Amino acid sequence: MSPQPAVGQIDAILARRAILVTCGTGGVGKTTLSAAIAMRAALAGRKAVVVTIDPAKRLATSLGLDELGDHATDLTPLLRKALAKARQQQGPSSGLPPTLTGSLHAIIPDTRRTFETFIRELAPTESLAERVMGNPIFQIFAKEFSGANEYMALERLYALHRSGEYDCIILDTPPSRDTLAFLDAPKLLVQFFEDRLIRWLVLPANKLVSTGMRKALGILERLTGAGFMTNLFDFASALFEVRARFADNLKAIMRLLESPEVGFIMVTTPSSIGAAGSESEVRHFLETLGKHGLHFDGVAVNRTLGYLEADQNAGRYPEARAVIAGLQEKERLALTGVPVCARLPELARDVHSVEDLFHVCLAFAETLPHPASGIAAHG
Amino acid sequence: MVFFGQMRSSDTHPFSPARQTLSRELVFVSGKGGVGKTAISQAIALGLSRRGRRVLWVCFEDPARPAGELRRISPTLSHFNCDAGQAFEEYAAMKIGLAPLTRVFLQNKLMRYLAKAAPGIHELVLLGKVWHERANYDQVIVDMPSTGYGLAMFQSAENFRNLFKSGPLARDSEQMLATFGDAAQTGLLIVALPEEMPLQESLELQEFLLKLFPANPSAFLLNRRFPRVTTDAEEAASPPDSWSTPYAASLDDYARKRSILESFNLRAWTDRGLAFAEVPYLPPANGKTFDALVVELADRLEKVLP
Repeated sequence: MSPQPAVGQIDAILARRAILVTCGTGGVGKTTLSAAIAMRAALAGRKAVVVTIDPAKRLATSLGLDELGDHATDLTPLLRKALAKARQQQGPSSGLPPTLTGSLHAIIPDTRRTFETFIRELAPTESLAERVMGNPIFQIFAKEFSGANEYMALERLYALHRSGEYDCIILDTPPSRDTLAFLDAPKLLVQFFEDRLIRWLVLPANKLVSTGMRKALGILERLTGAGFMTNLFDFASALFEVRARFADNLKAIMRLLESPEVGFIMVTTPSSIGAAGSESEVRHFLETLGKHGLHFDGVAVNRTLGYLEADQNAGRYPEARAVIAGLQEKERLALTGVPVCARLPELARDVHSVEDLFHVCLAFAETLPHPASGIAAHG
Repeated sequence: MVFFGQMRSSDTHPFSPARQTLSRELVFVSGKGGVGKTAISQAIALGLSRRGRRVLWVCFEDPARPAGELRRISPTLSHFNCDAGQAFEEYAAMKIGLAPLTRVFLQNKLMRYLAKAAPGIHELVLLGKVWHERANYDQVIVDMPSTGYGLAMFQSAENFRNLFKSGPLARDSEQMLATFGDAAQTGLLIVALPEEMPLQESLELQEFLLKLFPANPSAFLLNRRFPRVTTDAEEAASPPDSWSTPYAASLDDYARKRSILESFNLRAWTDRGLAFAEVPYLPPANGKTFDALVVELADRLEKVLP
């Protein structure tokens, strides 16, 4: 692999960034890991918030909460309790801070609502905003456009940053096959708002100079029926009026992402690394970041099994051991040459409370903070 | 909530619903990202082709292979890397008919942009292509994108039916949905791992699919079942939430805890009386090729295949 960028450990990274963006494919435990990073920032005295774009609201389950939503939920009291308990169990030599000076919040943005707020802010008049939102094409667009979630994540990030309420924002991006697909969303939207394209839809048919364009629109109408075309023209003309402000907004977002305040972390697991190998996945990630002028902060590897040592009385579960040994070997091979900034061990059970997440947060250290108790130890 | 996929009255083997599903001419393999859909769907296609059926295994826009590539794996098995751009052009040509008109339409900048960015078109043409291909093979096995996006694919067909009240696009969407909703023609297989979130998502996926296709319940396949080293009694005596930390102390401790955890998680299915087929966790193919893993998986799937 071409020269490896030097990456620090997670605490050093947190210290130099105001915003961390975690990227990764589905099923790698990105949401839990992102929440644990935010918690680590809170322990270091920061006003931290984790923003997770997940319509299924998994984060609430992981934190043992009934609901998380568009408004920030304050997890600080629960974190303070978990810290006190851990200090009590581990004693003053644990290295844990005596009191919690930072704070921890969580937000799961309501994409639809963010989109609507965004349109209202852009539209010069309330009636125009209503016209856009009442359009059936917009309604599907807001819900189904494969970039809408991604774009709204960035929009929300920008708004949070400007509000100044937090000094550490962890953005858990929507899972996708391509780790950085969410960066393409704004590009697609920008194209949509591009004058040349949208103008054709806004012009009355008799003003269309190009016969090719007239013909193409005619065919489209034949294929889709008249009702759709009316809606499309109406949608386009409404968007036409907000395009300049949209473009400015997007430029500001991209400027923020490129600033040294923002770092990008790739999240992966040894088992999700595909046939092409981790090196090529990391290289692809680095190249894409480079193309957009964004800062790379390393690869966070979740669910590692390397920490498991065979017991002295070996040979109890030969079949299970074979699977685990195979996974450990795969892990070793997969992580060779990868610039790792954090490594989290595989959990034996799922995270279900802020206290559980606290265990994960502590495991960011090089080694486990404390030998985990065996299965016989209850409570 | 209504849950289907239960054992049918006459045939009580837990693998039966999955086996029945895999006998249909069009099979969609869906599930959360990372559950092994690609390997499983390929192994299913391989296994079915070994029985002498002409099988097409379809992936949607796999960046690792050339766009639109159709490659012969064996005399009875082919792999198609379905590409939306190509499918869109074919579809437009089919609908517009006249070549010069098709050219005007496809070369138009605005149309090209709409084809790329308009929500749902992409998904619609991919599904449409698969729908057409089924006429050329005995069976078509589709590796669906992970849950969210996979759902969006079916949803987009539904959206188009509603958005275009008339015209050829609305009619085609309608017919496609009718095929997908028909249990005689289409099989919906949901793959999950014995982990909390994937199992939960599999139930949500099932519910969503059932709303779209009420007459075509999904079947379930559990992938990567870890060796079970604990008994019912041991599992009942030490449920996961009683462990003081979420971590394991040693390799044996992990093996034991994982075995307990999987049985515990699987209650999401077993408590509902869901029947499901399962495949064991194969030790990773270090040094082996992906294709070798697929062969091994196909052997393990023998009992599930019709």
